[in-house]
Amino acid sequence: MDTATTNAIEIRDLVVDFGSRRILENISFDIHQGEIMVIMGGSGAGKSTLLRCLLGLKAPTSGHIHMLGTDICHATKTDLYKMREKMGVAFQGGALFTSMSVAENIQLPLREHTNLDENTIQIMTRIKLDMVNMLPHENLMPSELSGGMTKRAALARAIIMDPKLLFFDEPSAGLDPITSAELDELIIKLKKSMKMTIVVVTHELESVFAIADRIAILGDRELIQIGTPHEIKASCDKRVIDLLNRTPRESIVDSDAHLKRLTRNAQS
Amino acid sequence: MKSNIRSENDFDVLELSGEIDLHYSPELRELILGSLKGGKALLIDMSDVGYIDSSAIASLVEGFQTAKSTNLEYGLLSISHPALQVLTLTRLDQVFSLYDNVEQFQSQF
Amino acid sequence: MIKAINELGSNVLASIEQIGRTFNLLVIIAWKLTQPPYQIYPIIKQMYFIGARSLTVIIISGVTIGMVLGLQFYNTLERFGSVGVLGSAVALSIIRELGPVMTALMVVGRAGSAICAELGIMRISEQVDALECMAIAPDKYLVAPKLVAGILSVPLLNFVFNVVAIGGGYYVGVVLFGMAEGSYINGMIDSVVWSDVRLGLMKSLIFGMLITLICCAKGFYLHLSEHGSKGAEGVSRVTTDAVVISSIAVLFCDFLIGAVMS
Repeated sequence: MDTATTNAIEIRDLVVDFGSRRILENISFDIHQGEIMVIMGGSGAGKSTLLRCLLGLKAPTSGHIHMLGTDICHATKTDLYKMREKMGVAFQGGALFTSMSVAENIQLPLREHTNLDENTIQIMTRIKLDMVNMLPHENLMPSELSGGMTKRAALARAIIMDPKLLFFDEPSAGLDPITSAELDELIIKLKKSMKMTIVVVTHELESVFAIADRIAILGDRELIQIGTPHEIKASCDKRVIDLLNRTPRESIVDSDAHLKRLTRNAQS
Repeated sequence: MKSNIRSENDFDVLELSGEIDLHYSPELRELILGSLKGGKALLIDMSDVGYIDSSAIASLVEGFQTAKSTNLEYGLLSISHPALQVLTLTRLDQVFSLYDNVEQFQSQF
Repeated sequence: MIKAINELGSNVLASIEQIGRTFNLLVIIAWKLTQPPYQIYPIIKQMYFIGARSLTVIIISGVTIGMVLGLQFYNTLERFGSVGVLGSAVALSIIRELGPVMTALMVVGRAGSAICAELGIMRISEQVDALECMAIAPDKYLVAPKLVAGILSVPLLNFVFNVVAIGGGYYVGVVLFGMAEGSYINGMIDSVVWSDVRLGLMKSLIFGMLITLICCAKGFYLHLSEHGSKGAEGVSRVTTDAVVISSIAVLFCDFLIGAVMS
């Protein structure tokens, strides 16, 4: 099978409205099997909404998403759940279940979906914990974990079923540089050895170019550009350049207009 | 997954082929533990396996632990590239005894 | 003026939507409970939380209310010279009315608020989404055990409440005021009939379902409510709402059942 032409995810003409506000406008792109796709954009660009659509947590206003051959916007709950067993999600805040220890959190999908032997489950849990360097902390409760540990535990839970598709929301947000570099390295290893397709949503530039095979840049409801890190770096689009250079907003302002904005409601 | 088990003089050889995932690893576990129960050393031929997932690896690990506790030799024979990658990711390539050919394993006795 | 009418209209619509969602949740869960896998252990765990952990508060309030009733009835009945019916007066009011209502209100305060806050926090911290993404149905996994445990626990707690409250009345009447032991107990046994017990049992089953359902739905659907985007404040707001609404629902239902049954 030619991996270059196989798509894990196909997004077609995706439109999402929140009430009367349009969040995403005609988004179409593919995510290839076995690649690391980074979805980037400033805050409010619609990244999280796009991710929620991909996870099937938010129904789009119109458009299609095909994931591993299932049309997740129109699938029955049974088909959707069957597809989800092949996918893992590491949420931004970890979303670990507070009433369970780290190990119990990680085992939950195995206990719910498989009939594996208890020994197998224990060993699999430890293998995954070791991969994210959390083995010494397996019996801690989520409330006892630091931010970095929570993220790593969440990643371990996301990969416990060896998913074909891994979604990672803001892997390095709020982490120290060393932990975040370790996570980046692990993501690349997962792609290489487990042949996972990995979708990372982030606004942190450092890790983007370290891990991405391709980058999709969202801005102002639209897909501005999609391409390899090389292509993105060479982009001529002003919005892309601004995002990469972290140019804030325009620093030169119309002085009259700015004065007016600041004193709008003040008594004169 | 397909499997075949044959007996040599001092040890059993378990030949595996195909992909081993969540559906097949319970069977793999039975095969490994069943063979070790016979009190013979076990060599697992993995030259023909494709992708293996962590449940398969867990079965291999459990087998290794069982073999160790009963003082039996336990080895993996000429692991295929995709399987070796998964073993390396989990740092288990440094734990298992890996062999390139049967003679190497035999010389352990 | 028009704005006020608009607001009233949208509030009414939102309330109707909420009631619809709540009962929809009940129907979904009732259907899913018939499907395997059956979750016996989580139900027992929730029964421990809702039931066993509420025992102290139920016993204390039961004894107190029984004693208060004994005191009040004794003083009133003494004026008419009919102290002899104290036992049946206490027992009937406890079994038919106060037992189910007070038990339900106590459970709302102790367990209902906790259930609502727990589900609300799970919602805002994406734990519910995480379950959904693991292909584990959150309504069945999270809400169903609580609902079943609520329906089973409240009648059991009600039984405990009744026993200790009648004991409280006994203490006041017989031990404090020295009325004859036989007249308290025999009066009670003679006047309480099966239909009284059945009414109380039915009430507490309905209340148990009602309060757990309201508290679960309030927390579980936090993201759909007006407080959905308020984070921790949203959780505290829906928890308050849940307690107020389920308490009122209990009292209103008590009246309704009483009116229909008599």
